Amino acid sequence: MPDNIYLPELARIAHIKEEISGERAIKTYRVEPVNGGGFEHNCGQCAMLSIFGRGEMMISIASSPLITEYKQFSVMRVGRVSAAFHELDVGDVIGIRGPYGNSFPVDDWRGKNLVFIGGGVGLAPIWPVITTAVAQRADFKNISVFYGARSPRDLMYKAELERLRGDADIQLSVDKAEEGWKEFCGFVPANVLDKKPSPNNTIAITCGPPIMIKFVIQNLQQLGFADEQIYTTIENKMKCGLGKCGRCNVGKDYVCTKGPVYSWAQLKQLPEEY
Amino acid sequence: MINIQDMRDTARGLLTKKEVRAVIGYRRSTNGMLAEPVVITDPAQADELIWDPTCFHNLSLYLVEDRKFLTHVRKTADAPIAIVAKGCDARSIVVLMQEHYFERKDVYIIGMSCEGSGVLDERKLAAKGIRATDAAFDGDDFVFATAQGEQRIAAREVMADRCLECREPFPKEHNAVLGENKTGRELNAPFTALHRFEELDAGARWKFWEHQFERCIRCFACRSVCPMCYCEECVVDSISFPVTGQTSAEEKANRVRWIERSATRPENMTYHMTRVLHLAGRCIDCNECERVCPVNIPLRLLNNKMEREAREEFGYEPGASIGGPSLTASFLDTDPGKFIR
Amino acid sequence: MEKILGKTKIDDWVAALSDHPQEVGRGCKAAEAATTTHWQVSAPVLEDGIWSYQSGSGSVQLEHSNTTQPPKGFSFPQREVFFSFEQIKGEPPKLTQKLPQATRHAVFGVRPCDGCGAVRMDKVFSDHVADTYYTARRSNVAYVGLACNQPQGINCFCLSVGGSPVSSDGMDVLMTDLGDRYFVAAVTDTGKALMAAGNSVFSEPTAADRKQLQQTHAEAIAQPQRAINNLDAAPAKLKASFDSPLWEELARACIGCGVCTFLCPTCHCFDINDENTSATPIKGNRVRTWDNCQFPDFTMHTSGHNPRESLGSRLRQRVSHKFQYFHENFGMPQCTGCGRCITECSVGIDIVNVVNKVAEHAG
Repeated sequence: MPDNIYLPELARIAHIKEEISGERAIKTYRVEPVNGGGFEHNCGQCAMLSIFGRGEMMISIASSPLITEYKQFSVMRVGRVSAAFHELDVGDVIGIRGPYGNSFPVDDWRGKNLVFIGGGVGLAPIWPVITTAVAQRADFKNISVFYGARSPRDLMYKAELERLRGDADIQLSVDKAEEGWKEFCGFVPANVLDKKPSPNNTIAITCGPPIMIKFVIQNLQQLGFADEQIYTTIENKMKCGLGKCGRCNVGKDYVCTKGPVYSWAQLKQLPEEY
Repeated sequence: MINIQDMRDTARGLLTKKEVRAVIGYRRSTNGMLAEPVVITDPAQADELIWDPTCFHNLSLYLVEDRKFLTHVRKTADAPIAIVAKGCDARSIVVLMQEHYFERKDVYIIGMSCEGSGVLDERKLAAKGIRATDAAFDGDDFVFATAQGEQRIAAREVMADRCLECREPFPKEHNAVLGENKTGRELNAPFTALHRFEELDAGARWKFWEHQFERCIRCFACRSVCPMCYCEECVVDSISFPVTGQTSAEEKANRVRWIERSATRPENMTYHMTRVLHLAGRCIDCNECERVCPVNIPLRLLNNKMEREAREEFGYEPGASIGGPSLTASFLDTDPGKFIR
Repeated sequence: MEKILGKTKIDDWVAALSDHPQEVGRGCKAAEAATTTHWQVSAPVLEDGIWSYQSGSGSVQLEHSNTTQPPKGFSFPQREVFFSFEQIKGEPPKLTQKLPQATRHAVFGVRPCDGCGAVRMDKVFSDHVADTYYTARRSNVAYVGLACNQPQGINCFCLSVGGSPVSSDGMDVLMTDLGDRYFVAAVTDTGKALMAAGNSVFSEPTAADRKQLQQTHAEAIAQPQRAINNLDAAPAKLKASFDSPLWEELARACIGCGVCTFLCPTCHCFDINDENTSATPIKGNRVRTWDNCQFPDFTMHTSGHNPRESLGSRLRQRVSHKFQYFHENFGMPQCTGCGRCITECSVGIDIVNVVNKVAEHAG
C-alpha cells in the first residue's frame, strides 16, 4: 500500500476502443502508469479511477494479470464520472489507485472445466479469468464462454472473442433476433440451459445484470451445479475502496474488501443488500 | 381544557367506522417525558394517543410522507388520513393544499386548540434546572412531574417563543376540533424575538450569522423535519437527487452542484439562505427546524424575517385559507415595488 | 502514575501543557516536530446553549454534562482535504497532498463512552489498511477523560454495552471528581507524559484518597441506567430479524436526517468528492466529508437502484452495524451507550428500544 492510501497514481490513456455506441456506450481503455509506478493485480480485482474535478469510480480490471504493461477497463457511460471518461482522448492522464477487493481463486480451478457466462458489460469483470485460462490453456480442461447482449450491436469484445475460438467454445446470444444473426437467440440463461454444460469437475463463473445472474444460477442448479461450483461478482456504491467509508456493505462484509467475488454458497449466506 | 379521552374517542370512532385509514397523532416516547409521532390504524391503539406540552411536532410532515409513499407504490388512497393538528400545524396543512400537494378530501383534521398556552421549549425548562418525567397542560400552567414531586410553572415562562407570539392558537381549518378558541390571546407581540435581534447593527448581525453558520453540521434535520421541504430534488445538495434507470448520464453529469458537501461557512450560508427564501410565504412558524437543530442555530429569526416582510409589504398571512393566493405566485396591482410593472 | 490534583490547580496544569515543549508521541512522523510543539488544550464549554469542545480559553472547568458532539472530530474532522488538483487539458494533472498539520491536542473532560468510541474508531481506521489522515491526526490527540459519577443524561446505557461510567478505555488519562480535587490516573505513556508536564501541580494520593476513589467508582457503577437487555444475544437476534417487518414500523416516524450519525462517537461513514474552485483550468480539492447511512442516496447506485431504499432498511443498517456487524468483525458492539442519538432524535427513534424490541420479537 502507498504512503497515502487516498492519493491516486497518475496513469496515461494509451488506447481507446469504442465497443458499443448509443445511450449507454461502452469504451475500453488501456491505461499505463506515468511515472513507472503501477501495481500488480489478480483476476477479479478492481481499481478506483479518477478524473480530477469530477471524482472517482470503482471499475473492474478487465485485463489479465499476465499483462503487466497496461491495465484494461471497460467503462459504460452511465454516471457523472463515466460520462467524463468517455470524453477522454489517448494521451490524457487520469488517476488510479488499487487494486481493491478479493479475486477469483483461479489456482484452485486448474485441472477443471470452466464455464463463463456473461451478459452485457458483465463480460469485463470475468474477462481476466477467461484470458488467463486461455493463456495457460494446458492447465484447464474444457473452456466455454456464454456471452449475450440485447442485440448484435451490444456485444463487446467481439474480435477478441472470435480469436478465442479454437481455445474455447464460444456461445453467443442476443435477446432479439436480427437479420444475419446465426447464433442463439434468447436470453443468456436460456442459452446455458440449451447447451447443457456438464457440472462434472466444472466451475461456472457468471457476471451480468442482477436479473440475468439470478436466472443463470437457477438454471445452473437445474443442470446439477452445486452452490460451491458457481462464482459471481457483486457491486455496490463505493467511495473509499478500503472498507472504511461504510456504504458498500452487505451484512458485515464490505464488498470493496471482502468482495466482489463470491461463490454462490457464500453469497446466499449474506442478506440481499446489493 | 381538552380531555385527552375526547381525542382518543374521536380517533377510535374514525378508525372503527373506517372513515379514515389511519390517524397520525402523538404517543409517549421512550426518550424521557417527550411525545413522539405515531401512525395508528387499529382502533385499539387509540388509547396510546396523548396530548401534552411536549406535542411540539408538526405532524403534517407525515401527510407529505404518506403522499410520497402512495406515489412511489402507485396507489390511490381509499379513505382520507386523519391528523392531530395544532393551530400552526393546521396552517401548514392549508399551505400544502394551496400548493395542491393533496386535496382537502384527502385529510381529516382533528384540530387541537392550544387554548391559553402552547408547547414547551425544552431548552427553557432545562435552563431552569428542572428534570421532569412528565408534563401536562393545566389552564395557564404546565405541570411537571419531577423527582422532587409535582412542579407547577406558568406556561409562558417555559413556552416556545413562537407560541408566545402565536396569533392563531386555534386550528381554523378542521373536521373536528377540541378545546376552546382563544385566538387573540397572544402573550408577546408578533416578531418580538426578531425585533430584539434587529436592534443590533448590520455589522453585528452579520457577525452573528457568520458565527451561526460556521457551527452548522449540515445534518439536514431542519430540512428533513420541514413539511414544506417536500421537493424530490433539492437545490442545495445531492442527497435527494432522484435517479432512476431512465436518468441519462448527461443529466447526472451535468447536474449543477450548487452547494458542496463540505460543511464550511459559505456552503452552509448558501444552504440556509436558499432554504429560507424557498420558505417565504410558506413557513407558518411551527419552528420545528429550530427545535430539531442539534447545535441550536436560531433559524426562526430567518423565517420570521421573511414572514414579517411578507406581512408588512404584501399583507400576506401564510396558511390563511386554502383558496387564497400564494405569496410568490400571485400579483396584485397594489403590490409595492415598481420593478415588475 | 496516579496523582491528586486540587480543582483550583487544573488551570496550572493546562498552562504547563500549553507552555511545555513536548517530547512524547506515538511514533508518528510528526515526532520531530513534536519537540517544539505545545499541546493545544480543548475542554467542554457551554456556548449557544450546547456543550462543545473549545480551545484557547486557558481555563478548564469540568462541570459539563456530556458534549453535544463527541470528540471524534479531533481525529476525524467533518471535512478533510486529501489533496488539491489542477488539470489543464492536454497536460498531466498536478496533485498536491494536504497532510494534516501536527497540532497536538489534549482533550479534557472526555466521558468514558466517548473514550470507548475512540477505541472503536481506531479499529475502523486501522483495520485492513491504516487510514493516512486519521492516523496522522489521531497520533497527535490525547484524551484526558473524566469519569461520570452520575449518568450524564436520562439516556445513558454504557453499562449494558460492555462499558462503564468509570472506564479508562481509549483514554490517556482518567480523572475522577472527588469533590474538591481530582484523582488523576495515567492510562498510557502519553498520559504519563501529560502528567509529568504538570509536575508540581499534582500531589501524591493518600490511602484515604484511594479509598474515596474506590467508593466513588463503585457508587457510579451502581447508578441506575437504561439498558440493552441482552447484549450477547443481540447479534444473533438481529441477524435473525433482517427481514422483519418491525424495521419499517420502528422507522415510521424517522425523517432521515443526520442527527443520530453525526453526533455518534463511533459513526465513521464518509463521502469523497471533488470540490472545484475553478473551471478553466480545472482546480479544486478532493475532500472527505462525513456521510450518513440514513440519507437516501448513501447507497444509491449510478443506475438508480438502491439496496437500502426504505427508512426501515436504513434504520436496520444503523442498528445492525452497531450491534451485529461490528460485533462480527471486531468482537465488540460498536455502540458505547452515550445516548446522544436518542436524546437528540426529534421524533423519538430510540436505539435501546429498537434493539430490545427487535430482540424480543426474534424470540
